This record gives sequence, C-alpha cells and structure tokens, in this order.
Amino acid sequence: MIRFDNVTYVYPTGVKALNGVSVEIGRGELVALMGENGAGKTTFIKHLNGLLKPTNGKVYVDGKDTRTLSVAQLSRVVGIVFQNADDMFFLPTIEEEVAFSLRNLGFSEEVVQKRVDWALKFMELEEYRKRSPFLLSGGEKKRLALAIILAWNPQVIAMDEPTVGQDSAQKEKLKEMIKQLNLQGRTVIISTHDVEFVAELRSRVILMSKGRIVADGRAETILTDGELLSSCSILMPQVAATMSRLADLGFNAKVISVDEAVRNIVEVLRRFEHTRGA
Amino acid sequence: MSILEGLRFYASDTVIHRLDPRVKFLISMLMLIIVVMYVEVWMLTILIALQAIMAYAAKVVRRWLKTIRGSLPLAVLVFGLNAIFFISSGTYATLQEALYQSTALAYRLVLFLSSFSIFFLTTTPEEIGLTLTSWRVPYPYTFAFISAIRFTPIIAQELRDIMDAQRARGVELDKGGPLQRAKKLVPILVPLLANALRRAYELAEAMEVKCFGATKKRTSLRELKMRYKDYVVLSVSLALFSLAAYYRLFPF
Repeated sequence: MIRFDNVTYVYPTGVKALNGVSVEIGRGELVALMGENGAGKTTFIKHLNGLLKPTNGKVYVDGKDTRTLSVAQLSRVVGIVFQNADDMFFLPTIEEEVAFSLRNLGFSEEVVQKRVDWALKFMELEEYRKRSPFLLSGGEKKRLALAIILAWNPQVIAMDEPTVGQDSAQKEKLKEMIKQLNLQGRTVIISTHDVEFVAELRSRVILMSKGRIVADGRAETILTDGELLSSCSILMPQVAATMSRLADLGFNAKVISVDEAVRNIVEVLRRFEHTRGA
Repeated sequence: MSILEGLRFYASDTVIHRLDPRVKFLISMLMLIIVVMYVEVWMLTILIALQAIMAYAAKVVRRWLKTIRGSLPLAVLVFGLNAIFFISSGTYATLQEALYQSTALAYRLVLFLSSFSIFFLTTTPEEIGLTLTSWRVPYPYTFAFISAIRFTPIIAQELRDIMDAQRARGVELDKGGPLQRAKKLVPILVPLLANALRRAYELAEAMEVKCFGATKKRTSLRELKMRYKDYVVLSVSLALFSLAAYYRLFPF
C-alpha cells in the first residue's frame, strides 16, 4: 500500500529530517511510528499525501510515485489528521467543516449530506452539529478533525500525535475508534510518544531516531527492549517494566498490556499454588 | 516568505554581532539616507558591496542573500511600472536611457529594503529592546515592537502548518482564477487569525504572571555601553556618510 524507497528529505533550512528511510506498510496494517522529538515522524507522515516530496528516493502510495500526483489526489487515498486541530477550523458550524472537505474533493451534494451524518455519528459529535468548532473542548476538536478526514473514507488514515493533551477517557475512546477503523480494513498509521497507548493497541511499531528507522517489529518485541527504547529516549510501558523486573520469579517479561499481564500473573500464581498443594 | 526569514535572528558571535546595536542601527540609517540621496548605480553598488562585506564578517551571507531575493518581486514590479511610465511619457530620449533609469530605481528599492537587514540579522530582539529603551521609548511600546519581531517566525511557521492542514483536506491553493484563489485564502487566514488571538491572550496572561509593569522604573540585566571599537566604527561610518553627502551637494 505504502512504500518508502531509500527516502531522504532535507528541509530548506538544511535540516536532514529523513535519512535513507526504506519501509513498506501493507493494506490494513496498524502501525505506530515512535521516536523522540525531531526523529522525523511528522516529516514521514507529510510524505504520505505528498505535502512533502522526497529530496532523494521515492515514495509510492498504492503503487504510484507521489511525485506524479497532487496533494488533493493523494488525499483521497491518505487522510492525515494533524496534531493541532485548530489549524483546520474556519467555518461557523461543525457540519459545514465536515462538508467543506467533501465538496473540495468533488462529492455530489447528496453524498456530502450522507457522509457528514455518518462521520459525525461515528465520532459521537451529532449533538453539536450546529455548534461552532471554536467552542468545542480539546478532545472534541480532535474528534472533529478525525471526522473531517474520515468523512471521505480514505483507505489510509495517518494521525500525528493523536493522544497529546487528551484525558484518559478520550484516549480510551480514540483507541477503540482506531481499532474499529483498522478492523474495517483501513490502514492506520499513528505517530506518538505514548508507549502506554501503543502497548494497548498492540500494533506494529516503527521506531525512528535522527531521521532513520532503528527498529521495526511487533509492539511486544520492541516495547520490551529496554536498551533499544532508552537509546531513543522512550520509557518502557509500565506493565512491561514491572513484568521484566519480576521475570526471575517466572513471570513473562514480554508482556505489554494490562490484560495479558493479569492473565500471566494469575497463571503463575495458580502454578505456584498447585506446586505448594502437591 | 523569504523576506520574513531575513528578519529572523540566529545567535552567533562575530565582530558585527558584538558591535553596539545603536551603532549598527545608525549605520543602517545612514545607508538608507544615502539611498534616498542617490539614484546613481555606482553609489548603490558601493553600498551593496559594503553590506556584503558586513554580511561576510557576520557570517550571514546566505540569509542576507535570501532577504535580497525576497525583495526581487517588488523590484521587478517597480522596474515594470517605471519602464511603462518612462517609455509611454517619453521622459527620456532613448529607450536605452528609459530602461537604464528603471533599472536604477528597482536597484534602489532593493537597497532600500536591504539596508536594515544586517541590523536585524545580527541583533537580538533583546538588544533592539535595549536600544529603544536607551532612547527613552516607553517600555510597553518597546515590548510590543520586540514581541512583533519575535513572533514573526512563529506565525510564519504556523502559516505553513495551516496550509498543510488545509491542503490535506483537498484545498488546492494554486489552482483556479484570481477570484477563486482569493476565496481560498479564507480557510488559511481565519485559523491564522484565531490562533494569533489565542496566542495574544496567552501572552497577556504570562506577562501578568510575571508582573509586567509592576514597577515604574525597569532595570535590565544587560546594559548597553559604547566601547572603543564602537566609537571607531561610528566615526568611520560618519566620515564616509559625510563624504557621500558632500559629494551629492558639491560634486567635484
């Protein structure tokens, strides 16, 4: 679905933000892009819909070189939700915001109405449809930004730092929505520092540092590798840190989510009880 | 955009950076006055050479060139308008002369805009503030001025972010006729304005937290002091300026 072929990107200021990045992301994958500030996550994401074109190397979306397509054409396939939702809003009501993008992309008026209804419902914003986007709370703004992108049903959805400034209830909601979108077959790419969030998503993790990909694998492999994570200024998820300290007692150190940890603890305790009973 | 880039300060430590900001301001001012006095290409070329030497000494040549490049569209416009006017009105006898004069005027405009670029490229907003304070400009005005300078690059970055966000939802900024394009500025300018207002409120709160205006008499950590080197540079600049002014009034 998406292929980076030895991509290097140098900003006009001379900063090399991507340095020889090669990676492939398949249709329907759920990927977390992780790494410290300035690792190149946002630059990576801006390459997905052609906002940035590689200085060297090639980016392919759906088999097509991004250089040959406009941002508007690519956006039909890849929807990007940026970190600061406020950068988008300019219309008097929420429903107009959602409809605006759909009209830009050339949908018929009938389809626009249907899609607006669907997107606002999916993001649980129906009751605010006549409200000004400026009056929403931080979490609602984030959801509206996602609704705007989801409305035209792009095959790939990329979110830049979706969890920043969100309370735990919002994060929970966001996590469920991401899972649901992924289950419906969409490719979802998120960039984040939030290890706990990624641990619960149990996605593929692409770890970046200084413009390079330093690791690529399952969350349970990467997020339990303390040394690798600390070299990228990332802390292990709390569950993984706890379990790895208890590994000597027979607990599974490769566990990252709360559910798994509970299951493993119960299992070990049962075994312990069993041996004591015998 | 590149003209804004020219106003941005990057910390560095060179002879030019270490000069007293008031001296640098004065040099820029004198250059500006000479530009007003002269349309002659040779004098403008001397000035631009002087600026280039200063830019080289301050290690800001690339960014200085950027400011100059930023002023080119305006210079082209000035050239075009003057050429049309001179040729249609027959001010000059030959076409060559008319084109030469239009070029000189466009050249002068470039110098006009670039005369202060060395000052802005090598002076921190804080030093600009100190300069204004030393001239007894009331601090609230000074603060407003240096905030404007300090926030310019931030707003420029924000403008880029907003354009990215809108392009990602299908706004094609460089498509359509002039009217359609003007309409497409609305999704860019409204968020920009809304964000600027939000930032202004935040800044006001931050200022109040830090007791802005609590005492009438402000002191500052650094105070400007003219040194031997500054006086030398100042005298040389004044001497050169007097020479240029004298030659304008009484050509040899």
